[in-house]
Amino acid sequence: MADQVYFEDVSEGQEILPIKITPDKQQLVKFAAGSGDFNPLHFDEKFAQGMGLPETIVHGRFKYALVGRVLSEWAGSKGRVRRFGVNYRGMDQPNKQITARGVVTAKKQENGQNIVELDVWAEDAEGKKTTPGTATVVLPSRG
Amino acid sequence: MRAQFGVESAPWTYEVTTTSVRMYARGIGSEDPIHYDVDFAKSQGFRSVVAPLGYLGTPVYLPGQNDPTFGFPRRGGGPRLDIPFKRLLDGGTETEYLDVICAGDVLVETSHLADLKLRDGAMGKMLFITNESVYTNKETGKVVAKQRLTSIHY
Amino acid sequence: MGQVYFEDLGEGDEIPQLKKNCSTQQLVLWAAGSGDFYQIHYDKDFAQATGLKGLIVHGALKNAFLGQLLHDWIGEKGQIRRFGCSYRGMDEPNQDILCRGVVKRKYSEGGKHFVELDVWTEKPDGKKTSPGTAVVTLPSKN
Repeated sequence: MADQVYFEDVSEGQEILPIKITPDKQQLVKFAAGSGDFNPLHFDEKFAQGMGLPETIVHGRFKYALVGRVLSEWAGSKGRVRRFGVNYRGMDQPNKQITARGVVTAKKQENGQNIVELDVWAEDAEGKKTTPGTATVVLPSRG
Repeated sequence: MRAQFGVESAPWTYEVTTTSVRMYARGIGSEDPIHYDVDFAKSQGFRSVVAPLGYLGTPVYLPGQNDPTFGFPRRGGGPRLDIPFKRLLDGGTETEYLDVICAGDVLVETSHLADLKLRDGAMGKMLFITNESVYTNKETGKVVAKQRLTSIHY
Repeated sequence: MGQVYFEDLGEGDEIPQLKKNCSTQQLVLWAAGSGDFYQIHYDKDFAQATGLKGLIVHGALKNAFLGQLLHDWIGEKGQIRRFGCSYRGMDEPNQDILCRGVVKRKYSEGGKHFVELDVWTEKPDGKKTSPGTAVVTLPSKN
């Protein structure tokens, strides 16, 4: 696990450590189990085709959770993710690489808290941002 | 439909357990011990294993009262919407945290309609519905998280 | 079903049948509930790569169906002592699976009333895919 990041270490424009994952069908079934979303769109090819899609698709919220992993791993046990949100603009298919990323867009102190704003997103193997969003994280001070 | 804004649903109980936190963490491919190892989580200052970001517990499932595919409670109170579209996609998710959520937490959730937009899109007319849920810790009575979910009906 | 009593049964009696038909969603729900995420139950390419014709139903799920067959039959006052089956034949999703049981032997011992049964799952053509046995205790009318 990475060392704790502190507010003083952060600068605007900095990219935080991304996470890459190539989810296979088993991963999506495990996500169905964990999230409670058993929509056959995510594991039954015939069902997906009946909905007009060429094949099954990755749950939007799987990508949201991947962005969440990037943020929580960066913030560490002393950081707190105050909020994060994304929109599902593009679909992703299983067995293709998805990368979740984040870039610091602002840092400020407000009401005695060290606030960091970020752009966050998930992109597909071609680099297309399928799942764009933003996040607000509170970090500890070194002092 | 706009008259339905702010109409609060009946409350529903969401449970965060060690088993459910671990299954969610496995579901997102995380191996961070903070989600799996209770002793480790406590050594880091948490009450128990920490819920991965985005996971706010699993709604209590009662046959006939919850949607069998998605698990969400169909319940009394809340907005009555007659949606003329049959197909559904996820539009967006946003979560705001006021506290850390850990296994052992029992949360009470209520939701209300927060936004409604009708747009012309590539697949025809699309209705964007955003519901906001507020999660309160049953034991402390404090709001611990809010989540906005946008669904696209087309 | 009303409560069944030890005296109601004769050897050779069939218990009420339970018909199941697993959607692909049901198999994924079982994976979630049981923790068995083996891909032959939801990933057709994977199943075929192992030599199977297509997706198959988890053996343990059929075992669980037989448990449900017994649970539904014995009522609140009955108890299942043991039950088990062998996964001899494969069942597939979107096809009827009929769960059945027949009384083999009934006897009383130590103040309890035991019923031994043959239980099994069968395909629409009658082929038995999961033959097994069970022992239950039932209340007496006396």
